[in-house]
Amino acid sequence: MKINYSREYLRSEKKGFAFVVPALLFMLAFVGYPIIYNFILSVYNVDIMTLGQQHKEFVGLKNYIDVFNNPLMLISIWNTFLFTIGSISIQFVIGFALALFFNLEFTLAKPMRGLLVVSWMIPMTVIALLSKFMLSPSGGIINQLLLNLQIIDQPIGWLINNSTALWSVILANSWVGIPFNMILLTTGLSNISKSLYEAAEVDGATSLQKFFYITLPQLRPAILSVVILGFIYTFKVFDLVFVATGGGPVNATELMSTLAYKLSFAQFAFSKGATVANVLFIILFVVSLGYLKLIRKDEVIN
Amino acid sequence: MSKFWKNITCLAVVMFATMLVLGCGGNTSKNASVDGNKSEKVTLTLWHYYEGALQQKSLTDLAQKFNTSQDKIAIKMEFAPRNELIKQLTIGLVADKLPDIVLLDNPDTPSFAAMGILADITDKVNAPEMKKEAYYPGPLKSNLYNDKYYGIPVGSNDIGLYYNEDMFKAAGITAPPQTWDELQVVAKKLSKDGVYGLAMCALKNEEGTFQFLPWLISAGGSYDKLDSAESVKAFTFLTNLVKDGSLSKESINWTQADVEKQFATGKAAMMINGPWNIEHVRGDAPNMKFAVVKIPKDKVWASCLGGENFSIIKGHHEAEAWAFLKFAMSEDNLADIVNVMGYIPSRKDLAESNPKLKNDPIMSVFVDEMQYAMPRGPNAKWPEYSEAMYTALQESLTNQKTPEQAARDAQVKVENISKGN
Amino acid sequence: MKTLVLRTKEKNYMLSFIAIVIGVIFLFPLYWIVVSSLKTNVEIFASIPTLIPHNITFSAYTDQLTGPNNILNSFGNSLLIATLSMVLSIILAVPAAYGLARFPMRTTKIFIMIFLVTQMLPVTLILTPMFLIYKNLGILDTYLAPALSDATISIPFVILILRTYFLSLPKELEDSAKIDGCSTFMAFIKIMLPISYPGLVMAAAFSFLFAWGDLAYALTFISTPESRPMTAGIYNFMGKYGTEWNKIMAYGTLLVLPVVAIFVVLQKYIVAGLTNGAVKE
Repeated sequence: MKINYSREYLRSEKKGFAFVVPALLFMLAFVGYPIIYNFILSVYNVDIMTLGQQHKEFVGLKNYIDVFNNPLMLISIWNTFLFTIGSISIQFVIGFALALFFNLEFTLAKPMRGLLVVSWMIPMTVIALLSKFMLSPSGGIINQLLLNLQIIDQPIGWLINNSTALWSVILANSWVGIPFNMILLTTGLSNISKSLYEAAEVDGATSLQKFFYITLPQLRPAILSVVILGFIYTFKVFDLVFVATGGGPVNATELMSTLAYKLSFAQFAFSKGATVANVLFIILFVVSLGYLKLIRKDEVIN
Repeated sequence: MSKFWKNITCLAVVMFATMLVLGCGGNTSKNASVDGNKSEKVTLTLWHYYEGALQQKSLTDLAQKFNTSQDKIAIKMEFAPRNELIKQLTIGLVADKLPDIVLLDNPDTPSFAAMGILADITDKVNAPEMKKEAYYPGPLKSNLYNDKYYGIPVGSNDIGLYYNEDMFKAAGITAPPQTWDELQVVAKKLSKDGVYGLAMCALKNEEGTFQFLPWLISAGGSYDKLDSAESVKAFTFLTNLVKDGSLSKESINWTQADVEKQFATGKAAMMINGPWNIEHVRGDAPNMKFAVVKIPKDKVWASCLGGENFSIIKGHHEAEAWAFLKFAMSEDNLADIVNVMGYIPSRKDLAESNPKLKNDPIMSVFVDEMQYAMPRGPNAKWPEYSEAMYTALQESLTNQKTPEQAARDAQVKVENISKGN
Repeated sequence: MKTLVLRTKEKNYMLSFIAIVIGVIFLFPLYWIVVSSLKTNVEIFASIPTLIPHNITFSAYTDQLTGPNNILNSFGNSLLIATLSMVLSIILAVPAAYGLARFPMRTTKIFIMIFLVTQMLPVTLILTPMFLIYKNLGILDTYLAPALSDATISIPFVILILRTYFLSLPKELEDSAKIDGCSTFMAFIKIMLPISYPGLVMAAAFSFLFAWGDLAYALTFISTPESRPMTAGIYNFMGKYGTEWNKIMAYGTLLVLPVVAIFVVLQKYIVAGLTNGAVKE
C-alpha cells in the first residue's frame, strides 16, 4: 500500500536532508572508497608475488574459504566477541554505576568525576605498555599489591597465561572505556526532567521503582547509542592488544584486527588481510541491523 | 519518480563517481621526478628505522658529508619506526610514493625483492671495488633473490650467551657452559631466590624466531623441516628449561630489550642477546662483571644473523642512489656507521682488522660467532616460515602442545608454504 | 536531574570518602605512570616494586624537552591537527544529528546505518586506500590529511550521541521560535545550539580527544618528522634495539598533561556544564 505523505511531511523531510547530507557526503567520500577497495582486494589474489604486477587474478571467494580453513580465524572471531562483550559489559555497568553515583549531590562529586576522565586521554600504546609493565609476574606492581593483601600467594602471569591473558586485556580496555561511558550516560541523565521524578514521588514510588520506570526508559536512546558505538569501537580495537600481547600467548588474545594486520603487513598476504577485515565488517553490519530494529519509530518522530 | 528523488540519486551517483575517481584515478599519474633532467640537482630520500638519537645523528652527518662532497646529488634521511616503514613501503608501492633508498632488516630484503620494489644491483655488487669476496657469506647472501643481488649489507650482528660472572663465582661455577647439557645443569643451579638461570626472547614475531634459530640449527634441524627429530630436539630443549624453572615463561612476552633489563637487574644469570646491548648493560649495571661466550652447542656452533641492508628502489634514480651507497660503503664512512650502530662490519677483513673489536674481549666473541651466524632464509616467504616457528615455540613453552605436536603442526604450515598456497 | 537530598553532613562526608576511594583505585595506574617516570631505569625493574621512588630523577624528562624531536614542537602539531579535526567534526556532525533527531524522514534508519557502516573497518586496513585518496588530492604530508581521517572517526560518533541528546530536548522551544517567524535554520542556530551547549561541549571534547590520541593516521600520512604530532614520539623510545621504560612513562605523562591542564582550566565549562541539564526548570 502506498502511503501518501502530506506535503508538510515532505517539506519537513527535505529540510532534514539538508542538515544531514553534508556529513553524509563527507563520510562516503572518504570512507566509501576504502570499503570498496577492501572488498575488491579480498576477491583478488594480492600477496608478495603479485603486489607489484599490473594484472591481478580474480579469485572470487577463494580467499574467504582459505581464511576460514585456518583455525586461527575461528579462534580470533571467538576472542573478538569475548573481548568485546566482556569489555562492554564491564564498561557499561561500572560506567553507569559511576554516573549514578556522581549524580548525587556531595562536595567532591564534580571534581572527582572530572578527574576520572583522565584515563581516557592516554594513548592506547602507552596503556598497553603500562599493562605489560604493571601485570608482570616479576616485579609488577599489581602482583605485588595482591601478594601484600594476601589475596594470592604466588604472582600470576596475567598476560602470559592462556586463562588470564584475554581477561587482562579486557580489563585494561575497560579501564579506558569506563569514564567514556560514564560521561555519556551522565549527559543523558542530566536531561531527564526533574518533574518526572517529582510526580513519581507524589505517587509514592521507591528509588528502585523510579530507576526502572523513569531513569531507564528515559535513557533508552542514550543507552542504545552508547552500547552500539561501544560494540563497534571495541570490536575493532587493535593497538592495545597488539602492543600488550601481540596476540599471544600463542593465540589466547588473537583478535580479528590483529590477525588482519599480521596477514597484511607481516606476511604480506594483503588479500587475506582484507578478507579478515571484511568478515569483521559483515559481523558488525549484522549487529548494527539489530540496533536499528531497536530504535523505535517514535524516537525518531518525537 | 519525483523530481526530488531524481535529484538526490543524481547527486549520489556524481559523488560516488568522484570518490572512485579520487581513489583510482591517480594511479596512472607518473612521477615526473623519476630519472628526469640529468642536468639539475637530484634529491634522494633514504628511509631508515634507527630510532636512537646518536644513530640518527650519524646518518645525518653522513648525508651532510655526501652532500658537501659534490653538488649533483643531495640526500635526505627520513626516519620511520620499523613496523611503520614496512607498512609505508607496501602502501607506497600501491600509491607510487616510495623513497630512493631504503634500509631493511636482512630477512625482509628477499620479500621486497619479490614484490618488485627493489632494484637489481647484481652488476654493481659484483664490481671489483666492492670487494665482494671480503664479505661474510651470511650478510651478502641475505640480499639474494633468484640468484640476483637486491641490496648491500650495512652492518651485521649476531647473538651470544651473556653470563654474570659474579653469580657464577658465588655458585661455584668455574667455566661457562659450552654444550646443551652443561647449559641445562648450570642454568638449573643458578635458578633460585627469584633469579632465573637463563633469559631469552620467545616473542610471537620475528624477534622470537631470531632467538630460536641458533638452537634449531645447532641441533641439526632446519626451517623447512620442522618435524625432523633434530628440529624437535630444539623445541624440547627449551621447553625443558622452562620446566626446570631455569627459563621464565614470561620470555614469551619479552623483547630482547626486556631480556637485557632482566639480566642487568640481576633477575637472570645468563641471557641470549646481541652486541647492541653491551652498552645498555654497562649503563644499567655499572658494577656487574659479565662476559660473553658462544651459544652452547648441541651438534654444531650456531648463531643467528642480524643486521640491515641498504636497497635501491627500482626506477628511482638508480645511478645517483648507487653513488651514495658507494660513498657510504667506503671504509672510513662505514667505520663511523658501524661504530655508532653497534654493528660488526659485514666484511670479514674489516671486522678482523678493527682494533676496537679485536681488543674487546666481549666484541671479539661476537665477531668470532659471525662465521656461524646463519641468515634467515634467504627466502621471500620467510615471514610465513617465521610464523610457523614462533608459534610452535610458544605452544611448546606454554605447554599448550607437546614439542613434537607443535613441530608437526608447524611442518604442515611449512609444506603449505612451499606449495605456494 | 535526579537528586538525593542530603540531610546530614555525615552522609556528605561518607559519599565524598567513597568517591576518594574510587578515585584512588581508578587512578592508580596513572599514579604509576608518573612515579615510574621519575625512577631510574634500574629501579623500575626492582623485584619488589617501590611505591615511592628511592631516587627521584628527572632525567627521563629533560631529554624529551630538547633536541630536534622535542616535545614542544610536536605538541604544536598535535594541537593543530586536533583542533582542525574538531572544527570539521562539529560543523558537519552537529547539524546532521539535529536533522536526524528533529525531522522525520523515511530514510532515517538508512542514514544511521550508513554512518555506522563507515566505522566498521579496522583502521590499519583503511590506511592504504586513504593514502591513495590523499595523494590524489595532494594533501599528503600536511596537517589536513590526518585531521580529515580523524574526523571520519568522530563524525559518526558525535552524530549518534548528539542525536539522542537532541531527542531528549523538548520541541516546544523551536516551535515557539518558528511561530515568531524564525526560519528552521535560524531556529537551529539561535535556539537549539545555546540550549544544547553541554552536548556540544561534550561533542567538541570527544572529537578533539580522538584526534589528539591518534597515532596510525598521523604516522602514515605525515612523513616529515618535524610535522608529526606528539603521539608519534613514542617510537623515539621504543624500537628494534631498546625500550626505555622511564622515558616512555615520562612521555606518557607529558602527552596527557596539556590535555589535563586544558580540562582543569575549563572544568567549570566542560564537566560542570555537562551536567547542569539542558533545560532549567
